[in-house]
Amino acid sequence: MTTIEKPRPAAVPEPTGRLAGLAPHARTLRVLGGVLTVVGTYLPWATFVLNDGPYPEQSTLEFFTVPYGVTGFRLHLLLFGIAAIVLALAAVPAKGRMIRALGVGVIAISVVNGLYIVGEGGGLGAITVADGVAFGAIVALIGGVLLVVGANAGGIEPQPVWNWRLNPWVERALLVVVVVVLLLLVAAVLTSGGQGGSGYAGGVFLSFLAAVGAAIAALSASGLLAWVTALTERHRLYSVALLLAAALLLPLTSAGTEYWMTVAATIGVYAATAIGLNIVVGLAGLLDLGYVAFLGIGAFVAANLSGAAASTIGITLPFPLVMVIAAIIAGIFGAIVGSPTLRVRGDYLAIVTLAFGEIFVRSAQNNIGGLTGGSNAIPNIPPVSLFGTDFNEGVEIGALELPPGFLYYVLIVLIISAVMVVFANLKFSRLGRAWIAIREDEDAARAMGIRTGPIKILAFLIGAMLAGLAGAFYAHKLGTVSYESFRFLESVTLLAAVILGGMGTIPGAVLGASVLFVLPEKLREFSEYRLLLFGIALVLIMRFRPQGIVPDAHRRAELAPETDPAIVAAEEKVAAEAKGEKS
Amino acid sequence: MLSTFLSQVVNGLILGSLIGLIALGYTMVYGIIQLINFAHGEIFMVGSYGGLAMFTYLLPTAIQNQWWFALPLLLIAGAAIAVVVAVLMERFAYRPLRNAPRLAPLITALGVSVALQEAVRVFYPNATAAVPFPKVFVEGTLAIPIGDGIVPIRYTGMLIIVVSLLLAFALNTFVNNSRMGRAMRATSQDRDVARLMGINPDRVIVLTFVLGAALAGVAGILYGADLGLININIGLQNGLFAFTAAVLGGIGNIKGAVAGGLVIGLVKTLGGQYLPGGTPYDYVWIFVVLIAVLVFRPQGFFGETERVRA
Repeated sequence: MTTIEKPRPAAVPEPTGRLAGLAPHARTLRVLGGVLTVVGTYLPWATFVLNDGPYPEQSTLEFFTVPYGVTGFRLHLLLFGIAAIVLALAAVPAKGRMIRALGVGVIAISVVNGLYIVGEGGGLGAITVADGVAFGAIVALIGGVLLVVGANAGGIEPQPVWNWRLNPWVERALLVVVVVVLLLLVAAVLTSGGQGGSGYAGGVFLSFLAAVGAAIAALSASGLLAWVTALTERHRLYSVALLLAAALLLPLTSAGTEYWMTVAATIGVYAATAIGLNIVVGLAGLLDLGYVAFLGIGAFVAANLSGAAASTIGITLPFPLVMVIAAIIAGIFGAIVGSPTLRVRGDYLAIVTLAFGEIFVRSAQNNIGGLTGGSNAIPNIPPVSLFGTDFNEGVEIGALELPPGFLYYVLIVLIISAVMVVFANLKFSRLGRAWIAIREDEDAARAMGIRTGPIKILAFLIGAMLAGLAGAFYAHKLGTVSYESFRFLESVTLLAAVILGGMGTIPGAVLGASVLFVLPEKLREFSEYRLLLFGIALVLIMRFRPQGIVPDAHRRAELAPETDPAIVAAEEKVAAEAKGEKS
Repeated sequence: MLSTFLSQVVNGLILGSLIGLIALGYTMVYGIIQLINFAHGEIFMVGSYGGLAMFTYLLPTAIQNQWWFALPLLLIAGAAIAVVVAVLMERFAYRPLRNAPRLAPLITALGVSVALQEAVRVFYPNATAAVPFPKVFVEGTLAIPIGDGIVPIRYTGMLIIVVSLLLAFALNTFVNNSRMGRAMRATSQDRDVARLMGINPDRVIVLTFVLGAALAGVAGILYGADLGLININIGLQNGLFAFTAAVLGGIGNIKGAVAGGLVIGLVKTLGGQYLPGGTPYDYVWIFVVLIAVLVFRPQGFFGETERVRA
């Protein structure tokens, strides 16, 4: 094991602005914040003991779950608090950065739980010293704020770069551990808070999400995640295979019930569609506001070829063939919609695509050619069936009983994998580079000899084909296809998924789609406000993090200011890699 | 039949002048900051609901029944609420992105649009379904016999045409003749040079939003008074029509926006009457016109500007 010195000087930047005066007290603030967080977690216990005598029978472990059945949040806060104290006192690189991440997490957790306690516990009266849970949340909130202030006052160090290289087999073994942890984490996030909608469930989910997010951010700040990413790049095929295996193993975890399989399959449909949209928007830079129409075209084609009673075309084809046909027809429409790109650019193009989307919805609503069922939709589409097994039934393999929906889940995982392979190969191909060149500067690309017209249409065509593929699955999974699922708002949601995740990246599109379609599932008590919050979130993302959760390292940040540290770091990394390849 | 044709023309002109009124807001904002203010249609909707709220909850019944008193109040209220929302929107959503790359403000505009529509749906009582709007003008129609039929013209329709044309004329005069109007034109040509000439571009931009929103608010009231029913989807729908009208007339061009609005109104009513598919497809024809114009003549029919954006 060799450790190479950090290439960057680990100099702590001088804090400026209002916090400069606090710099000498940074460590005190950090420790104090950690202590307050820990105190906050123990306050409920203390108030119980003070008011009702010794904590009844409940030993240390249950302390974390009662009262209110609030699983975990105090455990997370306690861990974060202790971690912050240790970090503040120990000599760790980038500790300010890590403490800031932990502080933000503490704030998020305590705010979520405080609000839910107020909501579920009956108004503001729930926040009293006697009812120490919420009071604890307030103390922990103060602790979190102190952590953030202390971290900023002490200066935020640049993210350290680890250059460890281990024995390849050790690295592979490590990757297995990482992927298993990831799998369990995904299952835990998906199932936390149950199916949502009841009392505290949404709070549990949000709180858990905040805890996971903060922990990941802290690990990322320490440079560990970047190292793991480098590891996966060294063992690219191996990691891809591991991830695929992990995705297929999800039904064996706690998420392996019919309900979660259905949720996962639905997310999968939108993730696959979002990846397709990512080709058009993320790679080629062509804003498409009517993209969901292609999902709809794929779905209606599949519905008509499925042998459903309501379909006009009375033929039934096997599912793989239907998928191909749906993709091809959607692709043809994609080329038609894309053809105005020959003459129209920028936001005018966005409006043209929007107009096409509206024409599709209106036509489908009026049951054009008897193909869409109009407002009656096309119901009773039979499930996909292969070797005599209907995909909506459970499966038993030996002693292993798998829930209904498992087969659909496997199918969508395979579809997404195929879509990802297409995307990843295209991105680094001659065609992908041409798209990126067009995105950056169309005139310059044309001057370099790229035939921009056909290549832009090709982006629409391929993107639409991927959506058509997902649409065929969608029709069979849901059993009903109605024009209502393909309205303008769905296009905006898909676009938001791509932007939220980070344009031009695969993990970004999947993550964005998951977030936007899991949150409404979990937070059903807010379903009334779902779209309102969604609109506000779009505005805030554009304002504060236009490059998304997973920014594309190769992207020259069309949406971000050039001085954004994450982008600059990513660009430096790319430049360094390029240099390494040359020498 | 001639009378059918003429009544559809009348309907088209009524709808068209209303759309033209909304289109003015699109065209001015785009002319100055090159932003497709996607949320402008929702400003129209908010104005309509705002006026309705004032009418329902603030006006005493005695005044409610006197249309000549209630109508001006409603128009002012609708415009005022639209202006407030638009100014807030400009300040908090668009201004921070003034120098951001072009995708960011467009996506923000989408977000604002969704948020405004949902805010009304969630917070306005019973807004999930269509809400009745008071008929604050003379009800009924003027029937003109032509040939063997009659052409009915709604009085509210006449009101819409007169008010829209008056306001468009006033706006045109303001932009072309006033000091502030000159500042607006200067800012639209070159913001930096305008700043050097002592113009505060931020103020000019806010003024642009204010004017556009006031017109949209007025349009919202007129729309409600004419149809007697409003719902939360009127913003997106009419906003798209108005945008089409603005593009048709040459974006940035005030007379063009009104003319484009009239054309769009005629396309909708006549297309619904005479083109295959009938009324259910009249929306489709408008979008076909939109696509055709953008593809074949993106500078519009009155396109004096060469400002076709790359």
